[in-house]
Amino acid sequence: MTLAIETQSLGYAPGRGFQISNLNMKVPVGSLYGFLGPNGAGKTTTMRLLLGLLPAARGSITVLGEAMPAAHVQVMSRTGYVPERPHIYPTLTVDEALRFHSAFHPRWDQPWAEELRTQFNLVPDRRVGALSKGETGKLMMLLALAQKPDLLMLDEPTDGLDPVVRRDVLEALLSYVSVHQATVVISSHLVHELERICDWIAVMDRGSLVAELPMRQFKDGIKRLSVADAPATLAATPFTILARRPDNGSGEQWLVRGWSSDMQSYFGAPGATLRKIGDLDLEDGFVELLRSFREAK
Amino acid sequence: MFERIDPRSSTPLYAQIAARLRVAIAAGELRPGGSLPSVRQLAAQLRINPATVVQAYRELEAEGLVATRQGAGTSVLDVSAERRATERTTEARRLVRDLLAEAGRLGLSAKELRAALDSELNGRKD
Amino acid sequence: MSERPTVWRAILESQWKWTRGLALLGALVGFALPLLSLRTALATQSTASFIATMQAWGVGYAIAAAALGLMTAIAAWGYDHRLRHVYALSLPLARWRYVLLRFCAGLVMLALPVVAVFIASEIVAHSSMVPKVLQAYPVALTLRFGFATLVAYSLFFAISSATGRTAGYILGGIALIIVAQVVISSANLQVDLVSRSIDLVFAAPGLLAVFGGRWTLIDV
Repeated sequence: MTLAIETQSLGYAPGRGFQISNLNMKVPVGSLYGFLGPNGAGKTTTMRLLLGLLPAARGSITVLGEAMPAAHVQVMSRTGYVPERPHIYPTLTVDEALRFHSAFHPRWDQPWAEELRTQFNLVPDRRVGALSKGETGKLMMLLALAQKPDLLMLDEPTDGLDPVVRRDVLEALLSYVSVHQATVVISSHLVHELERICDWIAVMDRGSLVAELPMRQFKDGIKRLSVADAPATLAATPFTILARRPDNGSGEQWLVRGWSSDMQSYFGAPGATLRKIGDLDLEDGFVELLRSFREAK
Repeated sequence: MFERIDPRSSTPLYAQIAARLRVAIAAGELRPGGSLPSVRQLAAQLRINPATVVQAYRELEAEGLVATRQGAGTSVLDVSAERRATERTTEARRLVRDLLAEAGRLGLSAKELRAALDSELNGRKD
Repeated sequence: MSERPTVWRAILESQWKWTRGLALLGALVGFALPLLSLRTALATQSTASFIATMQAWGVGYAIAAAALGLMTAIAAWGYDHRLRHVYALSLPLARWRYVLLRFCAGLVMLALPVVAVFIASEIVAHSSMVPKVLQAYPVALTLRFGFATLVAYSLFFAISSATGRTAGYILGGIALIIVAQVVISSANLQVDLVSRSIDLVFAAPGLLAVFGGRWTLIDV
């Protein structure tokens, strides 16, 4: 599996917030890699480290086959970045911002930039600082896409935007990815959006990567088990129990991850009996995952 | 056509799309020679991963229902009447299988199910 | 739909957008100074007071040079600072190249006031109303003004392109000297730290010596 991004034992200690230590991240080439995690978990910090905007304290970072931050110029010319907060000069007009950005990116597609600008309904001589939140979001995606990148790093690109704008932005993104086989790393709180578009999912909590696997596997592995006669303390389970709750009536409900169908054999021996296996909504599963991580600590 | 696509369902998205297209082809909704929406169009429209669309199209191509040509997109192949009938039967049985599974989960008996089916069909009268 | 601009062009255009008001104002002031100095000097009675008036106006050039340098340097970095340099750092351009291009763009802006000073002082130099015994030094004045502006700009540019922390240290150092002086003065000790520091910084052969001395357009 060729990797677009790889970190090894990456470490960073911000002034405040969680320390990132021993982070081993692997983003496959051409994947749509979803990055989930609560606020303050370190997603934005990790993205900044990957792009060379912050200096790592320890470990190595390889982006598009080059070491970062040494190859910063080469990598950034192939990478489109949409940060959490707008980073474009507010006094430039939309047209001026496009013009400025285009100067730095040799693969800039002017006709497509114009097309997107019209599609996004951005007035050319409106100042960037005067744009609404939705318009700013669209502009930043426009700038990132029109440079025809091989890698897109998107930090909450659609969070806080209205549904119409979200649709416009995602359509443009997916349209690009369909044709150009770019790798996309997208962090978001909108779990249902990530569920639709991502084929890889990574979960970060308090500076550590809690999970990193194909979306299909993650979803298939999260189940709600109806269990009867479960003892208070359990022998080691092949799956991870996120939560045990009393069920309405008798028995318990177990929320588990890492489940595969052959694990039913665990319930063969006398003791707990498996009554039903149910699916779990990704958002619910994600919430339980984080809750369990908190309780463990 | 794809309003019912549900990312939260246990059926993978590509399978849902392929199933919908299969029925459309079998029912004549998509005519032979007609083209399917491009991967780019469909992925953007449904706001899903383009790889999902590609997988669905590949599956249909493997079944001999469509053909993809470089630069020309994916078009529906001429399917014989028997083939169409087979697809329709397969889809109908798939629906029934899902129904039976759900009924089983709820604890409904075959008798109750049959009675419900009869009354609904009588109500529809076609 | 125009062609993609070069990186230099893009930086220059954005710099012009942010600094054009200042550059034009500076040009106005630079143009006015020589003319106004001549006007007021002509109102005096003697040649001696003529020269004195011209010299008095000299302060204006020094202040203008320092102010233009400071404000252009701030304008060069203003927006980057506010955005915490995220945009600039995420562009595929080596940091030192970006800094250099911004610096040069600021220099281009400062050319306007300098040219304005030159034109106005040439006008004054060729004026028939100047007392015949005196000499005009338009080129020398323009060069001095240009150099002073360059020095002020470079200094403030360096300070503002440093991180907030370094700039803080520099300003903190200056504040410390002033506080120390106040303490020393109140203790009635005959030590003048401020003058000493200023002398060190401004006296020849330092670069900032250009700010001291005589700024006369017309002299003996």
